[in-house]
Parts: sequence; structure tokens; C-alpha cells
Amino acid sequence: MSPRELLVRWLGVGSVGIRRTISRATRTATKRVQFSVAGVAVVIALLVVVTGIGIGLAAGTTVYDDDVDYWIVPESDGERSTLLSTDQPQFGSVHETNDRIRGIDDVAFASPVLSEVVRIEIDGTSEYVLAVGVINSPDLDSVTDVSTDGLSHDDPYHQSGSDDDEWTGEVVLSRSAASLLEADPGDGATINGEDSFTVAATDEGTDSVGDMPIALVQLSELQTLTGGDEHDQADQFVVGTNSPAVEDELAGIYPQSEVLTRGELTVSEAADSGLPLALALTALIVSVSVGTLFVLTTNGLEVVADRRQLATLSALGVSTRSQLGLVGTQTLVITGIGGLLGAIAGLGGIRLVNYVATATVTSEPIATSHLLFVPYGLAAALLIGLLSLPVLLVLTRRVTGGVP
Amino acid sequence: MTPPSSAAPAPSDDGAATDAREHATDPPPVVRATDVTKIYTRGSDPGRIGRLLGRPDAPKVRALESASVAIEPGEIVGLAGPSGSGKSTLLHLLAGLELPTEGTVTFQETDLESLSTRQRTRLRLEHVGIVFQHFHLLESLSARANVALPLVELGVRKRDRRERAERLLERVGLGDRTGHRPGELSGGEQQRVAIARALVTDPTLVIADEPTGELDTETGRRVLDEFERIADDRAVVLASHDRPTLEIADRIVRLTDGTIRGDDET
Repeated sequence: MSPRELLVRWLGVGSVGIRRTISRATRTATKRVQFSVAGVAVVIALLVVVTGIGIGLAAGTTVYDDDVDYWIVPESDGERSTLLSTDQPQFGSVHETNDRIRGIDDVAFASPVLSEVVRIEIDGTSEYVLAVGVINSPDLDSVTDVSTDGLSHDDPYHQSGSDDDEWTGEVVLSRSAASLLEADPGDGATINGEDSFTVAATDEGTDSVGDMPIALVQLSELQTLTGGDEHDQADQFVVGTNSPAVEDELAGIYPQSEVLTRGELTVSEAADSGLPLALALTALIVSVSVGTLFVLTTNGLEVVADRRQLATLSALGVSTRSQLGLVGTQTLVITGIGGLLGAIAGLGGIRLVNYVATATVTSEPIATSHLLFVPYGLAAALLIGLLSLPVLLVLTRRVTGGVP
Repeated sequence: MTPPSSAAPAPSDDGAATDAREHATDPPPVVRATDVTKIYTRGSDPGRIGRLLGRPDAPKVRALESASVAIEPGEIVGLAGPSGSGKSTLLHLLAGLELPTEGTVTFQETDLESLSTRQRTRLRLEHVGIVFQHFHLLESLSARANVALPLVELGVRKRDRRERAERLLERVGLGDRTGHRPGELSGGEQQRVAIARALVTDPTLVIADEPTGELDTETGRRVLDEFERIADDRAVVLASHDRPTLEIADRIVRLTDGTIRGDDET
């Protein structure tokens, strides 16, 4: 057989396989073929939805709270942290700016955050801890996972616009800081040589991030200790709101700043740890495995049910190789159609997931949708088909031949 | 495909020289069955472990016993006999669908047992057309696609496949039904599609098992007319227990209980 005849033969086999599948799907074996297609479609739809959620996590659109929290941080190319931002640009006139932010509709609370490593001494025990200066307000429950309950509201030392009002000396220690310093509420404390501080409270309830020893203090008092009072400086702002719509306004507060969501900060660690990738990869492996088993079962039954026609093909002189080509084409057509439909259904599933999520637990979509998911789903479905082929071909070889 | 040559069996009697001279002048039979016996196993074989466990061997059924027949080019041979007499078994052996348990089947002087399964499949494709009692058309393909199917395997171009299939369907009176699927055709029309499919590769031998078994008298008559028309230059073997079907045969081979009881010209 010449190469041209071989090519014509395989094109013909492929064409017959496609026509046969379409005809079976629409006329002669409608329910069985539809069941096979639907099975693949469900698997691929789930794959696309889980992948969308994974990429949503990685892309940082996720916010896991009723309160949408934003961080306003100086624009920077380097890595950032909500805890330590030493040697990075700082914002100025932060008290005045904080008042402007609080004036924005839907903003529940706002506070500049200044972080400095300081030396604290209590009853002869001295330790370096991270001092975090904030302006407390009724809705600001915690900063860096340390409760603000012991701090007076609205930074009394800066009440009149200059740092010469009532000095509170309030310090709230995280559990690890209190443990290190063996401190109890009411103990006097010395911070960077200034002995006018008192332990207002120790936070027993939560672990601060990384169990780092943290001391919450009034912002202006920390500024006074660290020299930040001259230009009223802070590293960043934390803003609490129930409306994602304020993001644009926050972005306009400082010309060279970035507004990050809680999600973007929270999941940055997750992204670094490869969790979304692992999620997407797991979804792919599970989908391909389940899909392959499904296609093997349904198409295997199809081959067995088709054995008389396969035997007829043998009797007519159609080679086993061409019959394998027919079965292979039919399998790939079924998984391809299933993959296409599944990918489209998956995009719909992502919309549904986002709708349910935003209506119940989050304020922003938790899954990312992209048209590239369609070829992705199609490719995964074809992979399922290809992985199913060896077993189906062995089965075909076993059932074909003989007298129809 | 030309069947691979095989060594001719050594003459075994005194008339061998005469036979050899006759063979030198006459064209060889298209297909010849010599002393063929076919034994089927009913149920599954117990296998080694089954035998060790005392499972008895599956019962054997002797479907054909020392049958010999030769089919010459251009003749129509009828296989007659009641159900279970071995007609279909002999047809399957002549078509190379099965191999005999004993004896030989030669196709144009080639022993089918010497061919691999793949070679026998190829031989059927190029030299044998088969018409089944139950048509065995592919339900999902149109009449034209069913007829053209063997040509796909031969690597014939789509346009040529289409032309040949339509010409044959026209010839069997189905020129206006080429796009219909089997489910949309009557039994007689389906059988004529099956005949067209059997002829599309221009085979040397056409095998038909009860070709009118599922057809009414009038339709059956039309189908038989087709067989008479196609037999001009090829051998046709029809198995039937229907008298009108056998009337078109030049020769009738009668079988009873797997044994040939007569081989008479009509």
C-alpha cells in the first residue's frame, strides 16, 4: 500500500469514526453516547471550577471575611510584610490622612501602622519586641493578631493635632511578649529608655503571627520614641470596610502607594508555598484519573456492545488496525465533545461559585474565570481519551473477529 | 492482493497424472474444501486448573464431517439442507472466517491455514464478498457509506468511493436511497445494500447465507435476480433451505448432519 493510500485509508477511518459517533449521539445510541459525554463533561467542569478557585487564590482576589480589609502601603518593587517594613518608604501626615480615610463612606475603621523593633524592660527583664503603633477605634479589634482592647481610642497624645496632649503610656503585649517579659497588666514598662509606659493588657487569646513578641502602643507615642513624630510618619494604613468600592478612593490617597486586600496579603504566603499550584495539579490528577476510569467503563461497555459490528467489519475485510482506529476516533470524539462542554459548563460553574460566595461568605469573587480554561479542559479531556485508549484497544482486539 | 502461493498437495492416487493435466488446462477452482471437518466446543474450556480440579472437558459438536467441495469461477453453487446441517459452517470455512479443525480449504490454490489472521482478513477484503442473512449493515452509516466501507480499507479516494458506491446502489435499484440509513430502509432494500457492499471490491467469490431468509417472496425474487446478474464472472455460493433460492444455482450441494449427501447439477 502506497503512502498516499495509507493516508487516504486513515483519513477515511477517521471520517467514518466521526460520522459514526455523531450519528450514534444523535440517532442510534443517543442515551449511551450522551451519558459518556456527560460523564466526561462533569469531570472537566469540576476540574475547571477547582482550577479557577486555585488560580483565584494565586491571583489574590480572595477575601475571606465579611469585613473587606485593605492595606495601603508605599509603592515598592520588593517584597513587603504587614509586620516589618523597616528601610522602606513611609507615609507622612498620617493622623490627618487617617481622618480623611475615616471620612470616606463605608469605611468602618482606619489606622496608620508604624512598626519598630524596640527594647522593653519590665521588672528587670529586658527583651527586644516589635512595637506596633496604631490609632485605636471602636471597630479596630486587632492588629497583627493582637487585640487592641487595652488601648484608648483615637490616640489621645495627638488629640489636638500635635504631640503634646495626654500621654497614655499604654502597652498591650502579645502572649509571647508577655511570656518573655513575665509581664502582667499594670506592670510598669520602659521602652527604649522611656519609663512612662504601663502594661494595659496582655493578649491571651490568639497567637500572633509567627509567635513574634509584639507590643501594641499608641501611634504618636511610638513616633515620639522613634523620631517619626517630626513628619507624623507611619509605614502603612489598615482600613476596614464592608464595601470593595472604596478601593479606588484609597488608591488616590497617596500618589505612590498600593492598595492591597487582606486576601492579597494572606494568600501571598499561600502562593509562595505553592498551594494554588498544588490545588490545580491535584484537581488535574484526580479529574484525569476519575475521567479515565469513567471513559474506560462506559466506552468499554460500548465496545462490548458493539462486538457484532466489529465482527462484521472483520468479515468484510476491515483490518483490526482500522477497527482500532475507529474505536480510538470514537473515544477521542466523545471525550473531546465532553471536554468542550465540560469546560464551558466549568466557566458557568465558576460564575455560580462566585455568585454563591459573594452572597454568603465573601465580598469578592473567589475564583478566576478565563477563556483559556476552554482549551485547557479540552486538552485534559483528550488526555483522558488518550489514557483510555490502550485498554480499549486491547478490549477491541479481544472482541473482534469471528463470525458476526 | 494475490493470495500467497502454497505447495500443491502431493497426488495420492493413480489418477493423479490425469488430474494434473486437467488442472493445467482448466482454471483452478476459486475455492476448494478438501475433507474438512469442523468441531466446535460448546461452552468454555476448563483449562489446566479446571482439569486439575476435575472439571470435565466442554462438550464438542461436530458441525461438519469430511466435506469436500470445489467452487469454479462463474458458477452459482447452492448449499441445501435443513437447519443445523452445516451449511453456514461450510460457508464460513469457504470465506475464511473460520479455519477447519481437520482438512484444508484452499483459495485460488492457497491453503488458508497457511495465512495469518491479518492475511485472511486482507484476502476477504480483496477477493470475497459476504452477504449475511441479517444484513449486518452499520446502523449509524448511510447506505452509501455502508457500501463504500470496504473501499476505505483499500485506500480508495473519497470521490472514487462515493462514485462506486452510488453506481452499485443504482445497479441494485437504490439510486434514490443512497443517503438513507439502514433503519430507514425495508428488509429487501437493506439486503440489496448488503449485496452492493459485497460487490464493491469486485470480488472473485460471493458468499451469501440465507440471503432471502428475512424477505417476502417478491422482494426475495428481486434479490435473487441480483445474484444471477452478478454471477457472470465470479463464483457465488448461496446457503439456503428455500427452494426458489436454490433454483438459481447451477449446482446444489446437499448437506445433512454435517455431511455432504449429494452434489448435483440442476
